[in-house]
Amino acid sequence: MNKTIIININGIVFHIEEDAYEILKNYMTDVKRHFLNSADSLEITTDIENRIAEMFNELLAHEGKQVIVEQDVNRVISQMGTVADFEKSEQDTEPAFSDTYYNNNNNRRLFRDPDDHLVAGVAAGIANYFDIQVAWIRLAFALTILAGGMGLLLYIILWIVVPKAVTRADKMAMKGEKLNLEGFKRNFEQELGSVHQNFSNFKNEARPFVYKARDFSGDLAHHLGNFIRGFANVFIKFIGVLILLAGFGFLVFFIVAFIAFISVGHFMPFPVPAEILRHHNPNTIFISAFLVAIITLISIIMLVLKGIFRVGSVNRSTGTTVLAIWLCAVGVFVFQVIGIVSEFRSHASVVESIALKPTKNNTYYIKLNELKYFTAGDSARLDIKNLSPNIKITDDDDNDFESFNHRNIHLDIEASDSNQPSLKESYRARGPFYEAALANARDIKYQFTQQDTVLKFDQRYYGKTDEPWHDEEVYLTLKLPKNAKVVVDHEVGRFVDFNIGECNEVNKKDYNKVTDATFVITDNGLQCKVDTLVTDTIIRKHLPIDSTKIKVK
Amino acid sequence: MIVENTQTQMRKGVLEYCILSIIAKGEIYASDIIAELKTAQLLVVEGTLYPLLTRLKNNGLLSYNWVESTSGPPRKYYVLSDEGIKVLEQLDKTWQELAYAVKTSIGDRKVK
Repeated sequence: MNKTIIININGIVFHIEEDAYEILKNYMTDVKRHFLNSADSLEITTDIENRIAEMFNELLAHEGKQVIVEQDVNRVISQMGTVADFEKSEQDTEPAFSDTYYNNNNNRRLFRDPDDHLVAGVAAGIANYFDIQVAWIRLAFALTILAGGMGLLLYIILWIVVPKAVTRADKMAMKGEKLNLEGFKRNFEQELGSVHQNFSNFKNEARPFVYKARDFSGDLAHHLGNFIRGFANVFIKFIGVLILLAGFGFLVFFIVAFIAFISVGHFMPFPVPAEILRHHNPNTIFISAFLVAIITLISIIMLVLKGIFRVGSVNRSTGTTVLAIWLCAVGVFVFQVIGIVSEFRSHASVVESIALKPTKNNTYYIKLNELKYFTAGDSARLDIKNLSPNIKITDDDDNDFESFNHRNIHLDIEASDSNQPSLKESYRARGPFYEAALANARDIKYQFTQQDTVLKFDQRYYGKTDEPWHDEEVYLTLKLPKNAKVVVDHEVGRFVDFNIGECNEVNKKDYNKVTDATFVITDNGLQCKVDTLVTDTIIRKHLPIDSTKIKVK
Repeated sequence: MIVENTQTQMRKGVLEYCILSIIAKGEIYASDIIAELKTAQLLVVEGTLYPLLTRLKNNGLLSYNWVESTSGPPRKYYVLSDEGIKVLEQLDKTWQELAYAVKTSIGDRKVK
């Protein structure tokens, strides 16, 4: 007694023994897979299935039995020929030049894997396609999702575009045989050619009579599918080229930046990280960041080359070594970054008030101190004291000496409560904990000098020279009596909150010709002093000329 | 290897020519084509015929009609298209030339 299965071959029902069914199923899977890359696979396999059904019918009628057994299946297969026979005779019948057609049979096809999936089987499908372990693909997706979400988008697109492996033929094609060297030879032109061929096949298809409608819709779907798949292939290669170009671009950028860093030292396209890195092992951070960037880029380039263009490969041990280096670099980089961030956890400020001498005419000139200040240590080191008294070292923006410190000086001018002018200096800094932050704030040295009516402000603060940067800031609040006249030099403009240029504009003064602007302290604080006389003359100058009074000689 | 290659090259064209010739005799079903080929001792398994027929059809040399069958699914009966007839005429001519060429080349040599 044997178990039988009822099968349906293109609308005709057969009873078949289980063993026989297995053989038939495997045979049909092989056949379908064999013709998978042919443009007419559906038509050919349908023809073969129909013929098998017919032969079964003939056998059953001839022998007067009801159930198909193993022997019958073997007979039908021997008459129809195995895939090996097809391959042999294809060498006979196919034109000699079309060996790519033949080799296509060994290519894998990209499917979503329903047997090994976390979400939709995209990663497993890709892993099958490239014959690598699925964990790497998942890791790549996870990393790209974390780094900006590109991976998520890609995953969703692949989910939509890539078909799910439903039949056994699909799954076999998905896992296929190992990609061979022939695959590498396939290039854009062939892909384009296959698109074109699919398209023309699609146009040529036409069927008469009974099965016309069914065949046509089947063919339409099939050829359209082939066409779209071919088109998607070309599109993916196009994207691949773009990724490669971008990848190489960044590679060159990183290498140039790295070489510049190595040779020039503190080469820095961005000022803020430079300040942070000034004393914190910049070499370690740079080398680890460089390694992370370079290895990631090269991996992307290799992956694109292997995945899309099927060129090049890395052997396992090299890959593992590079991965280990990458992980170490990431670890060092993250460790350093955390170290830096923890330096900025706490915040502290110190406030100091300095009484100023009131001036006789209640006028104050605010200027930038152009002399460079040296600490005792610096002046000894640079031998400042032995300079002739006529020589002065001026301070300049371009002096590469704590060159970013002026960014963190803020000057504001307010009305004083009394007639006594004063300067409030607020030093702020950060540190890993409050005491350290406070110590850092107290370490800030700021130079301010009064010479009668002239108040000179330094454009930078001075800290301990060998200390790291701690986001030091100096907030200066100058409190002047009411009705005081304040003449502010342009050079101070870079660290004051009020706008000097605007005040000159109101007074119709050319910013390039005057070097200062005049303000008055009112009840509302500092206000621009509007010079009515100047405004008047300027307006009069531009009075329209009455043309009737001009005589042409 | 060289022998096999030459044999392959020889069969390659002949098989298509024979199939077209068989179909030219009138509307015919695929398994009947096989039967004729077997009679002609140009042996092929049935499965290889279908891709070949499909290719010839796609090249516009053949067309087919669906015919209902008592013993299974509807059958495709192949016929030559107008273009197929023209191609066959050309092939006839070529075959005559080839046959003459081969005959002349063999000359007096005795072929077993």
